[in-house]
Amino acid sequence: MTMQLARERARKLKADVIRFCERDMPADLLDKSRRHQVLHKDDYVRWMQLLHGQGWAVAHWPSELGGLGWSPLERFAFEDQLARLGCPWIIPFGVKYVGPVIYTYGSAAQKQRFLPRIATTEDFWAQGYSEPGAGSDLASLRTAAVRDGDHYVVNGQKVWTTYAQWADWMFCLVRTDREARPQSGISFLLVDMRSPGVTVKPIPTMDGYTHVNEVWLENVRVPLENLVGEEGAGWTYAKFLLKNERTAGAIVGMAWHALHRLKELAAEVGPDGKRPIDQPLLRNRIGEFELSFLALEEAAYQAVEAMMTGAENGGEASLIKIRGTELYQEIAQATVEVLGPAGIAWDVEALHSGGLPPLGPSDAGGILKDHFYNRAATIFGGASEIQRNIIAKGVLGL
Amino acid sequence: MSTDPEMIALLSDSARRYAADRYNFLQRHAVLQEGRGYSEKAWQDYAELGWLALRLPESEGGLEADGAAIGAVMEVVGSHLLMEPVLASAIVCAGLLVRLASAEQQARLLPALADGSLKLAFAAEALTLRDNRLNGVAASVLHGDIADQLIVVARDGQGAQDAETLYLVDAGSPGVARQSYRLVDGRGAAMLRFTEAAAERLGAGDVCAKTAVEAVCDEAAVALCAENLGIVKALLERTCEYLKVRQQFGKPIGVNQALQHRAADMYLIREETAALTKAAQRALELPAPERARIVSGAKAYIAHAARRVANEAIQMHGGVGVTEELDVSHYFRRLMVNAELFGSRDRHFARFVERSL
Ligand SMILES: Cc1cc2nc3c(=O)[nH]c(=O)nc-3n(C[C@H](O)[C@H](O)[C@H](O)COP(=O)(O)OP(=O)(O)OC[C@H]3O[C@@H](n4cnc5c(N)ncnc54)[C@H](O)[C@@H]3O)c2cc1C
Repeated sequence: MTMQLARERARKLKADVIRFCERDMPADLLDKSRRHQVLHKDDYVRWMQLLHGQGWAVAHWPSELGGLGWSPLERFAFEDQLARLGCPWIIPFGVKYVGPVIYTYGSAAQKQRFLPRIATTEDFWAQGYSEPGAGSDLASLRTAAVRDGDHYVVNGQKVWTTYAQWADWMFCLVRTDREARPQSGISFLLVDMRSPGVTVKPIPTMDGYTHVNEVWLENVRVPLENLVGEEGAGWTYAKFLLKNERTAGAIVGMAWHALHRLKELAAEVGPDGKRPIDQPLLRNRIGEFELSFLALEEAAYQAVEAMMTGAENGGEASLIKIRGTELYQEIAQATVEVLGPAGIAWDVEALHSGGLPPLGPSDAGGILKDHFYNRAATIFGGASEIQRNIIAKGVLGL
Repeated sequence: MSTDPEMIALLSDSARRYAADRYNFLQRHAVLQEGRGYSEKAWQDYAELGWLALRLPESEGGLEADGAAIGAVMEVVGSHLLMEPVLASAIVCAGLLVRLASAEQQARLLPALADGSLKLAFAAEALTLRDNRLNGVAASVLHGDIADQLIVVARDGQGAQDAETLYLVDAGSPGVARQSYRLVDGRGAAMLRFTEAAAERLGAGDVCAKTAVEAVCDEAAVALCAENLGIVKALLERTCEYLKVRQQFGKPIGVNQALQHRAADMYLIREETAALTKAAQRALELPAPERARIVSGAKAYIAHAARRVANEAIQMHGGVGVTEELDVSHYFRRLMVNAELFGSRDRHFARFVERSL
């Protein structure tokens, strides 16, 4: 596909997404999502199945597996546009993370067994990478898988496992060889969350919600057939997955959405009869965001194109992650400040029930919740510091 | 109008080879010291390389180069800090002539521009015009020191306040007093005083110069983005080399994470500068309001971002970073000048904000 064609298709797709959002998106779901209310498992499953109905949930997969032959540019534009419209997050663990690992490295039986149910979100997946002792230094992970006949016996603890409380399956990095170099002793294992010995304990976070969990694994028996690819090659698959994790169009769309909302709020006439956006200091601050957004958007799309043509230098995914998340956080902070008293009033119950916040516009509570949650955006998926290490070492050779 | 990618690659290649052979840091030093920022020899080379005809129509033997093609040359102008008036004469003044001059004027002036025998400079500060005579002062005219002729903006005091017209003035004519000086980066400039100076009007009576001047100034701003990209790339490269070879405390200074992260931030800026430059080049083909937004956004962002890269480059070089002997300080000074040319950071930022909010 030529780049010209890919760009045209991405443009058309964005228009299709806008039309879908206007015509086919259930009003209650859209309202909840636009007000950044807490979404529950059934909301997400409904959302993912809506997308699947359009063919979009796995459109980036190969066509023989139900994909639409999307280029990375289309996938990026798609995530970007959905986020701009304030649609829910596309839960990535199945369709974006483990799905591609399975169809790239998995056995025929694994493809047959898992992929169709990933596409339809009949199975909900979680990502079991991080451990108490292995955060940024993921390769130091210690959860052990030891062979016993036709099973692995898994012991250890995962942490920060998003939506483990809902998951049917968890893809895990486990250590199968203690003697080898840290990276080469790791394997990629698919764990049934209903297996005996799996315990999920929630970790409440400051946004008043539970996304993340501890997952304890005690003598969990996992059939050998749930090993993906080769034993000891898990790190390779993890790196393959990581690239998909970091090249997220939603980062751009979220920054756009937040900036758009900030501009709306700042343009409302306040009790003093003035519009905040007419105050020179705020106007200047928003202008700087707008300028940073222009840089982010151009750099991100050109980075995706470079990755498609093989013209990349290796730092592109880090660039999108660092600049997107840092800009989003600054915008979110400014928005909370513009909300004034409504930016410090907090009603967790209302967030869960879809009710109204104590003060301010109907999305004030949700804006706060997202502001809290996204303090983690510069930590998960490779912290900003780690991204800078990657650039310094991998790209600049320092 | 869009230049063939192969032509762009060719331009870029030949410019790189030329600059590496004939305009390296030592050769440039001679131009800086002895030539007062101008080399006639280099200027003739540029004519042969086709740079002076970049902006001209094909009928005049030109390339009708688009933003990307001009950028390919300007990036090298930046990376090697070429000092001759490629931007002022071959891009800005040529652009004004192509847009505004009559057929007769074009036939007379363009061939001389292309072969290097005519150097033009542009005075953007508006002068007054009465009875075809110019009066007033243009305080800061880039390359006004060496220009043969000047294109000036003048108001006749009759029509609307912004009814500007362009005039051509001979720099050596009796009514023009020229006070030459140097800019901090070594390029020449001049303060020009016009006293009843004879002037030739560019083009026919009813052409609106304002639109053309705005378009050409946007082209110049975009060309400067590309020039700054060349500088930012060079500074990042120099700095990374230095971080690897300079040893302190028994190890290369680049093993310190405090410096690695700062280098990573320079990389982020380099990528953004490249992306915004490309976006601004594309925007030159858009309708004026959208063009203005993106061009000014790019110029404003890059002005500060590039200065930050230069500050960091000096800091990470330690003492040698501030010396004459090292190119880093020369890049720093060039960026200072480029930030001011064709619209300061604040002016472009204000224009960007006005069109964004
Ligand atoms: C909301 C949320 C959801 C998450 N979801 C999941 C999930 O679904 N599955 C999963 O497996 N994990 C998940 N994570 C875990 C996440 O990937 C880790 O938090 C992340 O890898 C950082 O590890 P850590 O928290 O142990 O911090 P640490 O690694 O201890 O880092 C602490 C600080 O030190 C810095 N630091 C560490 N090493 C270096 C270094 N070499 N140089 C410079 N600075 C350094 C870090 O940048 C950070 O600022 C989630 C985390 C959060 C907060």
